[in-house]
Amino acid sequence: MTHLDPSSTGLARRDFLKVSATAAAGMSLGFFWPTHGNAAETPKLNAWIEIQTDDTVIIRYARTEMGQGSRTSAPMLVADELEADWKKVRIEYATAHENLRTKRAYGDMATVGSRTIRNSQEYLRKAGATAREMLIAAAAAQWGVPASECTAALGKVSHAASKRSLSYGKLAAAAAKLEAPKEVKLKDPKDWKIIGKSLPRVDIPDIVTGKIRYGIDAQVPGMMYAAVAASPVFNGKVKSLDASKVENRRGIVKVLNMGEFVAVVANNWWRAKEALREVAIDWETGDNGQLTSAVIMNSFKAGMGQAELAVARNDGNTVQALGTAAKVLEAEYFTPYLAHATMEPMVCTAWLQGDKLDVWTSTQNPENTLAVAAATAGVAQDKVTVHPMQLGGGLGRKSPQDFTRQGVMIAKAMAGTPVKMVWSREEDMQHDLYRPASLVRFKGGMDNDGKVQALHIRVSAPSILATLLRLPLPKGVDGQAVASFNDHPYDIPNSLVDYAQRNTNVPVGFWRTVGHSQNPYMRECFIDEMALAAGKDPLAFRLANLGQKSPRDVAILQAVAKAADWGGPLPKGVFRGIAETEGYGSYTACVCEVSVSDKGDVKIHRVVIGIDPGYAVNPDNIEAQLQGSVVHGLSAIFWGEMTIKDGRIEQSNFHDYRMMRLNEMPVVKAVIAPTGGFWGGVGEPAQAPLAPALCNAIAAASGKRIRSLPLKNHGMSLKA
Amino acid sequence: MTTPPAALRRDWLRASLGATAWAAGRATFARVLGGALGLGSLPTAQAQGMLSGKLLSLSEMLDPIVAGAPVVRAGVHIETLILADNGLSVPFRVWVDSPMTAQDHVTHIWLLSQRNPVMVMAKIHVGPQMGRAELSTRLRLAGGQQLVALARLSSGQFRYELADLIVTEAGCVDGS
Repeated sequence: MTHLDPSSTGLARRDFLKVSATAAAGMSLGFFWPTHGNAAETPKLNAWIEIQTDDTVIIRYARTEMGQGSRTSAPMLVADELEADWKKVRIEYATAHENLRTKRAYGDMATVGSRTIRNSQEYLRKAGATAREMLIAAAAAQWGVPASECTAALGKVSHAASKRSLSYGKLAAAAAKLEAPKEVKLKDPKDWKIIGKSLPRVDIPDIVTGKIRYGIDAQVPGMMYAAVAASPVFNGKVKSLDASKVENRRGIVKVLNMGEFVAVVANNWWRAKEALREVAIDWETGDNGQLTSAVIMNSFKAGMGQAELAVARNDGNTVQALGTAAKVLEAEYFTPYLAHATMEPMVCTAWLQGDKLDVWTSTQNPENTLAVAAATAGVAQDKVTVHPMQLGGGLGRKSPQDFTRQGVMIAKAMAGTPVKMVWSREEDMQHDLYRPASLVRFKGGMDNDGKVQALHIRVSAPSILATLLRLPLPKGVDGQAVASFNDHPYDIPNSLVDYAQRNTNVPVGFWRTVGHSQNPYMRECFIDEMALAAGKDPLAFRLANLGQKSPRDVAILQAVAKAADWGGPLPKGVFRGIAETEGYGSYTACVCEVSVSDKGDVKIHRVVIGIDPGYAVNPDNIEAQLQGSVVHGLSAIFWGEMTIKDGRIEQSNFHDYRMMRLNEMPVVKAVIAPTGGFWGGVGEPAQAPLAPALCNAIAAASGKRIRSLPLKNHGMSLKA
Repeated sequence: MTTPPAALRRDWLRASLGATAWAAGRATFARVLGGALGLGSLPTAQAQGMLSGKLLSLSEMLDPIVAGAPVVRAGVHIETLILADNGLSVPFRVWVDSPMTAQDHVTHIWLLSQRNPVMVMAKIHVGPQMGRAELSTRLRLAGGQQLVALARLSSGQFRYELADLIVTEAGCVDGS
């Protein structure tokens, strides 16, 4: 059992900076320079880099780690420019409270949107390059030679002419006293030594030896445990509760009526959970108990006929072009609500001591956790410490902080006692922020040569941005609801995308790949329908309709088709499907090879899935993300759906929200095809082309066009 | 793609260099721009793909109101959060140094948003009868941004202060 020291901040509370006018102007991201002169402490060259006398280089990581691997790949960017010896690099978390204290020296900490690398690469590389130049300058000064004659490599600065060299550990103290260069030149990609290498993830040894501490593992001396229940009907409130059956039970400390939920606090979690089952709770649910999946579908259908729609894209004159097209196709697609079902359910340990609050939780955004915790407890933000923990899966669920709010509400009610709140699997399944369901209607018009002249896409779906974040929607469009439609890459002269915002009482949120988890499935299946109607090969049809407009989409499509030997011979009964997508700054494509039995058994013989992320920082990790996307994607494609009856989610655990099993995993061939010149995301985009490639292959094999997911509803199952 | 807030602010301040018709003194101007001076090019501030609207430059926010009158960054104070847990109800306090006499007082205070669909969040009429030029409110903000409190004095001069506020994200708000 590891006890976590609540006073641990991950950083010594000294130094940092001359907070000058630049700080107020936000110019100082990662470049808060240490104050000079405390020789007893390890020299910090900037917020990101600390070098010890034994040559250990400590690089800070300001995002969270949930299996996506960027705790390794983001520091690689720093280390490469620093010319560090990777074997001597140690990675430590930057913390939200330190970020607050330094007026956001570490910038954005949100680990969302596949953006750790693409949004921070520039300032991380600059941090490394700046420190490198300072180390070189320190060595040059010591030797009395021009800095231009010195070079840095593998954690050392060398002067070739005099055959002298000094390790970074010996130079760091002097270097930290130097003024940082205002401008640094970043390396040419051809000179990268660490970026582009397949390096093992730094957290793997601790994971496989059980040493890593996830949010759920937090242990604090004297800690109590809480089990919680919110209204099964969404947005219900506690009308009354009777805890008389459990209040005097052994180990039960308190039963809390928190209005929005009930918590049982006990000296172990199982006692709390079991007692909670016997607390009689009467919920006030109003009319919300009437909601069903059918009611929601009727609302979506009504959206299709809605008079006023938000227009997300309007090129040319689509209505007119559809009227004159030689061939017109129409189809309606549906994707269901999905739960994240992360391996580790929602968890929050909180300890309020006077005006001081400590929080241990699995969060995708420690700054959001800090702000929510402070607001909930009513303490000052600088009195809150958010302890970095590894996440047992995130998938977008652990970005909104509803669970932190609950945990801190309990800690406030139990002021002085640390309390670990853990959701049961059932609570987690039934109180998710679900991937929205979506109904989409396509109408496409082609000429006699199979060139698409007009495409009308109408989306009827809830808005995450309007309901969860309550953001204003420019022109009424939720960009996630229409993602991959409003920015489709096809060279179609007339494109109309419109949107009916149909919100329900089912809370929605960001599920890995968000709008790209569903819209590309529908788009690329409809493209296949048009290819079939035009009598064209699906790859040739796509290439012809992409034209010259989208060279990166074309490049990844061709790379994956080549890797899959598209058009080559296949065993009898095996068929292929293809799709290409783009999102999070990257370009992806997929080919699936399947056979389908008369009974509906789908055997996936091979998945060839590829990505062009611009630059591939850690190819092995990218391959893992592609494989992981197939695991996560196939579970959703075959079985994933959350249905609503009596205002609540019908599913409750993995017996009715099935995950793919180990023996069902198909062969995956990963194609990493970086074309350079840009930085794209990796964690999410590869999931997008899987569903359409698979459903297109199923259509080729069985003649059955799949216009809604999951496949189990079409009598199909995944054959191991 | 969502740009880190610091970069957004940098672009914004860069764009502010293009502000015209400012009567601000050189020293004041330098204070406003801080370390952003000398960055070279003057691109137009963009919303960087944010769905919640266009990021306005400082001049785009101030010019329509000050209309060429002298504007100085001094004497206005803001108290708000650094991190807001959400954008729905952000506490915000502003006060202006002023004797608030009949001869020398604040006439108006504007609360301006760089990112909200409606830039002028509030225009408050004040006068010597109030004794103090001060207000507390809660703001609804469409994401992290720079906020401006602008005060008009009875002399016709304008004064302002900026606040840098991050609305911590509860998810991925970029459309890509």
